[in-house]
Amino acid sequence: MQVGGYAGKILRVNLTDSSFHVEPLPSEWVREYVGGDGFAARMLFSELKPRIDPLGEDNKLIIATGPVTGTLWPMSGRTVFVSKAPLTGIWGESHVGGFLGPELKYAGYDLLVVEGRSDEPVYISIEDSDLELMKAAELWGLKTNEATAAIKGRHSDPDTQVAAIGPAGERLVRFASVIVNNARAAGRTGMGAVLGSKKVKAIAVRGHKALEVSDHDEFVRLAKAAHKRVRENGQAREMHKWGTWILTSVKQTIGELPTYNHRTGVFDGWEKLSGEYIRPRYTISDRACFGCSLGCKKVNYVREGPYAGTFGEGPEYEGLMSFGSLLGIADFPTALKANQLCNGLGLDMISTGATIAFAIEAFENGAIDESIADGMKLEWGNSEQALRLLEMIAKKEGIGKLLAEGSRAAAKSIGHGSDKYAIHVKGLEMSGQDGRTHRSIGLSHATAARGADHLRSLVTVDQLGYQEVAAKRWGRDKLPEIVDPYTEKYKAAAVVETENVYCIRDSMIVCWYSVSWPPIFWLDDFAQVLPVVTGVDSLGSTDELHKIAERQVTLKRLFNAREGIDRKDDRLPTRFTEEPMPEGPGRGQRVNLEPMLNDYYKLRGWNLKNGLPTDETLQRLSLEWTRTGVRRE
Amino acid sequence: MLDLPAQLTVDYTKCTGCRICELACSAKKEGLFNPALARLKIVRYDDLGMDIPNVCGPCDEAPCVDICPVYAMRRDPLSRMTYLDEDKCILCKSCAGVCVNGVIKLDTSRMRIIKCDHCGGDPECAKACPTGAIQYGSISQSTIRGRHGKMIHYLKEIERTALAEQTDGEK
Ligand code: SF4
Ligand code: SF4
Ligand code: SF4
Ligand code: SF4
Repeated sequence: MQVGGYAGKILRVNLTDSSFHVEPLPSEWVREYVGGDGFAARMLFSELKPRIDPLGEDNKLIIATGPVTGTLWPMSGRTVFVSKAPLTGIWGESHVGGFLGPELKYAGYDLLVVEGRSDEPVYISIEDSDLELMKAAELWGLKTNEATAAIKGRHSDPDTQVAAIGPAGERLVRFASVIVNNARAAGRTGMGAVLGSKKVKAIAVRGHKALEVSDHDEFVRLAKAAHKRVRENGQAREMHKWGTWILTSVKQTIGELPTYNHRTGVFDGWEKLSGEYIRPRYTISDRACFGCSLGCKKVNYVREGPYAGTFGEGPEYEGLMSFGSLLGIADFPTALKANQLCNGLGLDMISTGATIAFAIEAFENGAIDESIADGMKLEWGNSEQALRLLEMIAKKEGIGKLLAEGSRAAAKSIGHGSDKYAIHVKGLEMSGQDGRTHRSIGLSHATAARGADHLRSLVTVDQLGYQEVAAKRWGRDKLPEIVDPYTEKYKAAAVVETENVYCIRDSMIVCWYSVSWPPIFWLDDFAQVLPVVTGVDSLGSTDELHKIAERQVTLKRLFNAREGIDRKDDRLPTRFTEEPMPEGPGRGQRVNLEPMLNDYYKLRGWNLKNGLPTDETLQRLSLEWTRTGVRRE
Repeated sequence: MLDLPAQLTVDYTKCTGCRICELACSAKKEGLFNPALARLKIVRYDDLGMDIPNVCGPCDEAPCVDICPVYAMRRDPLSRMTYLDEDKCILCKSCAGVCVNGVIKLDTSRMRIIKCDHCGGDPECAKACPTGAIQYGSISQSTIRGRHGKMIHYLKEIERTALAEQTDGEK
């Protein structure tokens, strides 16, 4: 393929017959989908039969990169894992930082597709064109860091990048994660369980080939200028210093720090979970993903107390929240310990914390009693108990077996009205935001393809009050409502535009933090660099990029529609729509979802009645082929 | 007073392991993106949460110069920088094996030895490094030793608590 930036090849591993296949990357995909998430959506839709079991032989796991992965463009080390999700039964995706994606491209592949199922534990070894399935019986049962060390030792090359599952993935916990190089988690929707069901313990990748962009000199000029913008951006520097924990105090101030299973947005112990408190006491070094000049990763170490000796990279704000305020625990060492356990065992920290929060609230309200809870009195603020539950989930032991199915399924088997306490959308436990104090995220949570998602369309411009940016992006006529976090008006316009830009971000692929606040990057920056990387001129038009993004959003929607998803599923837990925020700046607020949903469907060209894409929309986006569900032979 | 010769110096307490330096080097020297062809090497210790940049020092004693059988690797007496005369090189790879920092590499596709040349006094890697972990200038040994001491202290601390944990477990 003559297009710049890509490796130009797709690698397939079929575990059932232990074979590898290399195919050219279809060049028309570049114009229609750009890369990353877009390629994966194109492939998953056409290659999976509807209604298959996510943990069965027919499911596939796609690991995708984009045109800038592995180049000098800032924050371009991200990779996405895509599959039908075990936790939700619908579209599943999880992005991860680190070095896996660049290494895959240096090995010569844009995508890796894992198909079929092995009878014996194996790991997939990729070194350029040396492709092998290695026996992994002695790695089965190991924690992710142990398996990673063992594989790196075997390959005696520290640059071998390893993505591994832990015991939780092996036991098919529905929200098991894949951990890349000890600390970076493809956490959400259960990608670790997909690998576990295929008996794949790990994927090891090493590459020595070069990537070439279409116009090298111009690209290097743009990339250097882009790095300079990151290095000089005030908020990026703050983020480098405090990591994502900077969000704790922001959230507390606006009354949106999820506390006691999202009952409230204000947490008394928030200070102990803030960057200002944590960094001087626990942080020992700053790290970054590949090609990132921001460097938000923090390595931490606990010197004293019950968790003395705990050491590791992370957790992010989301992990800190889910083993902190969400459970009523005001203690960083607990969160660090939970992070270490979740990474080692291979569990998604957000869903794990949220599922434990569900159990505590269900216990409090009598839906779970001590006989179900293995003699424990489930309670808020109990670190030791939370960590014990975490380990029981990974082992599927006692109540852990129930919780390992996720909060939606657990509520279903428990009954007694416990579904009220399962805070999820489409089966995915909710991340650390609240639509009551930030209406647009309510709409994002309700509409995102993988469920209650904070990464695909979270608008920050409204919440942080960037009036001028809002006027420029969405029109001055929509002020002041569009930046008012407490009204539903115009929020769909902000969510749709933002979701489109993030689609391109996730197709290139670059990190969330390269678009999270103005004025780092936005769609015009991507439109400037994409033609220089690829040599494809059409990618230089923001209108065209919007269309590509719409195509991707609609394609994921069609994937979900095939699994039975429609308007009835685009909902929020009643906690956000019926229970007013009890205290804090957002006191009395709740979400009126329906008008936002109507606006969203209108802007997307989806039918208001059922929320499904109309024929005209399919035609406009060149998606008619989905009607017959073309499959690869 | 005599000016000290300029060198690449590293401060691994600042390095985040982003590998932008490797990319910048391969972009400048090869017109490509391929860390395997960079003239410096970041070694990431994910288990320790530490990243160590390896650059051509140069060393006090330069083993790469000593080992070269055909005097293709030489040292500039003033800058003390070592450099390779590609025309003389017979590809015996001895220098790559002996380099204390592992920064002499073999480019297997074009079959040649690649080695840092300080970009002729304007090092791309130092300019690209976002944290100041790689700098170009005269070195002051004392600051390097100070940082080294800090790192050793921290590693000892980890060892201490790990041991304490073990003994706790045995009780
Ligand atoms: S901002 Fe943080 S998560 Fe994003 S690429 Fe940089 S280090 Fe990784
Ligand atoms: S190439 Fe290696 S051995 Fe030679 S001077 Fe540089 S660091 Fe020392
Ligand atoms: S000084 Fe130049 S050649 Fe040497 S490592 Fe840095 S960028 Fe590469
Ligand atoms: S660019 Fe600087 S911070 Fe990044 S890996 Fe290289 S030396 Fe370390």
